[in-house]
Amino acid sequence: MNPQQTYTLILQLTEKLHAVGGPFQIVIAAAAVVLAAAALIPTASAWRRPALIAMALLLLAGEGVLAWYHFRLWQLAVVIDPSTGGLTGHIAAPLWIESEKLYVWALITAIMGTFMRRHREELLPGVMVVVAALAAAGVLVGQPFSNPLPGLLGQYTSYLQAMSMGGQAALGGFEGMESARQFYYNAWFMWVHPPLLFFSYGAFTISFLATIQMIRRRHSAYETTAYRWIRLGYLPLTFGMLIGFPWALAAWTGEAWWWSGKVNMSIMMWLLYTAVLHARLYLRERGMWKTVAALAVLSFVVLILTYVTTYVVPGAHSYAAVSGGADVAAMASRIAGSLIGGRA
Amino acid sequence: MTPSVEDIRQRTWDFALALITVVLLASLGIQSFIGTLYVWLSERNVAQWSQTAGYAEYVRIMNIIAAPQVVALVIVMGLCVPKRLFSRKALLAASLGMVGVGVVGGMIAGSLGRGLAIYLALAAVIQVAVVVLTIAGVRGPSYLTQGRLTKTGSGLLHLGFIVFAIVVVALQRSALMLPVFWVSAVLVTAGTALSFYADRIAWRRSRPQTEVSFAEDDQAH
Repeated sequence: MNPQQTYTLILQLTEKLHAVGGPFQIVIAAAAVVLAAAALIPTASAWRRPALIAMALLLLAGEGVLAWYHFRLWQLAVVIDPSTGGLTGHIAAPLWIESEKLYVWALITAIMGTFMRRHREELLPGVMVVVAALAAAGVLVGQPFSNPLPGLLGQYTSYLQAMSMGGQAALGGFEGMESARQFYYNAWFMWVHPPLLFFSYGAFTISFLATIQMIRRRHSAYETTAYRWIRLGYLPLTFGMLIGFPWALAAWTGEAWWWSGKVNMSIMMWLLYTAVLHARLYLRERGMWKTVAALAVLSFVVLILTYVTTYVVPGAHSYAAVSGGADVAAMASRIAGSLIGGRA
Repeated sequence: MTPSVEDIRQRTWDFALALITVVLLASLGIQSFIGTLYVWLSERNVAQWSQTAGYAEYVRIMNIIAAPQVVALVIVMGLCVPKRLFSRKALLAASLGMVGVGVVGGMIAGSLGRGLAIYLALAAVIQVAVVVLTIAGVRGPSYLTQGRLTKTGSGLLHLGFIVFAIVVVALQRSALMLPVFWVSAVLVTAGTALSFYADRIAWRRSRPQTEVSFAEDDQAH
C-alpha cells in the first residue's frame, strides 16, 4: 500500500464526483423550487403527479451517482495492518450516512408519494412540499456531491497520514480505522438499521399529512389513511430499533449510550407511535379522534426532534460537537481544505 | 341489538385499560424527553460529562423511574388479554401476586434488576399461555381486535416485548443474550406484521368499518 498514491486517487475520485454532482446539486435545488411551486399553485394540479415522479427519478439518478462513488471508494479505501502488512479489508460505506441522510429521506418519501393511492389528490401537495424541502436541504445542507462523507474521508486521511509515518503512529491509526470499518462502515447493522428507519420516516411523513387532512375535514377516512401509513412505518421502525440493541452492546462497550439523548428521543418517538396505535382502537369513542390526532401530530414533531437531536445533543449516537463531533468537524474542514488545495 | 350491562362494563373496562396504556406510554415518552434535556444541559455545562460519576447517577435514576412504569405496562398488558379467561378480580390478584414475588425476589437478591427479571419471567409464562390458547381458538382470551390471526399477532408481539425486556434487564452479559434477543425480535416483528396485515392473508376477511364524519359524531354525543 502506498498511502500517498491512495490519497491522491481518492482525492481525484472526490473531485470527479464534485465535477459531476456539483451542477447536479443545483439542478435538484432548482427542481425542488419547481416542485414546491407546482404543489402550491392551484392551476398546476394536473402536473403535480408527473412533477413528483420526475423529482423521484432525479433523486434516484443522483443516488446512482453516489452509489458509483461509494463503489469506487470501496475499491480504493483499503485497511492494512502495519504490524503484519496484511489487508484486513475494504471500507464499504453505506449509502445513507453523514451528508447523505436528508437526501435518502427525500428520495424514499418521493418514491412513496409516487405510489400512494388513497386520498392522493389531497395528500399530493403536502408530499411535494415536504419532498421539495427535504431535497433542497439534502443538497444544500448535506452537500452529498460537493462535500461527500466528510467524517469517513477525514478519518481515512488521518489513517493514511499515520501509515506514511510508520511506527506507533501507524499502529494507532490502524486501530481506530479498523475499529470504524468493522463496527461502523462495514457492520451489517449500518446497512440495515438506517434504511429501515428512513423508510419509516417516509411513511410517517405521509401519515402526518393525512392526519392534518383528518383534522381539517373531521372525517375518519383520513384517519384510516394515516393509520395505514403509520403501520407501514411502525414495522421497520420497531425492527430497526430492536436490532440496534445487540449492536450497541458490541460496538459501544464502555461508551455512554444508555439513556443518551438520541436513544431517549428514539424511544420517545416509538412510544408515541405505539400510543397512537393503541388510542385509535377507540377512535369512535367520544372525543377520542382528537386524542388520536394530537398524539399523531406530536409523534411527527418528536420524529423531527429525534433527527435534529443527532446534531444537537452529544452522545455515542450523535454528530453533535463536544467529543466525537469536534473530530468530525475538524476532519470535514481538513478534507474541504484538501479539495480546494487540490484544485488550486 | 341492545348491548347487555356486562358488555357495557366490559367495554368500559377495556377502554380504561387502553387509556392507561396510552398514559403509561406517554409518561415514559415524557421521561425520555426530560432525560434528553438533562443530557443536553449536562454536556453543555460539564466537560466530558458522560465520563463522570454524574452520568452513572443519571442512568441509575432514569432506570429507577422507568422500572415501575415498565412493570405497570406489563401488568396492563396482562390484564388486557386474558380478561375473559379469568375473572377480573382473579387477574388483579394474580398481577399483584406476581409483583409481590418480584419485589420479594429483588429484595432477597438485593437488586432491582433481579426483581424485575423475576416479574418479567412470570409475565412471559402467562403470555405464552395466552398465545397458545389464542392459537388453539379457545373461547377465553379477549382482545380489542377481531379475527384469530390478528389476535395471535397481538399476543405474539406482546410476548416478544416481554422477552426483549428480559434481555435488557437480565441477559446483557449472558451467552444467551443473542439467541433470546433474536427470539424476541422475531416475535415482535412477526406479531406486529400479523396484527397489522392479518386481513390480507386471512381466509375469511372481516368487513371494514364504515367511515364516519367526526363532526357529526361529536354533535351526536
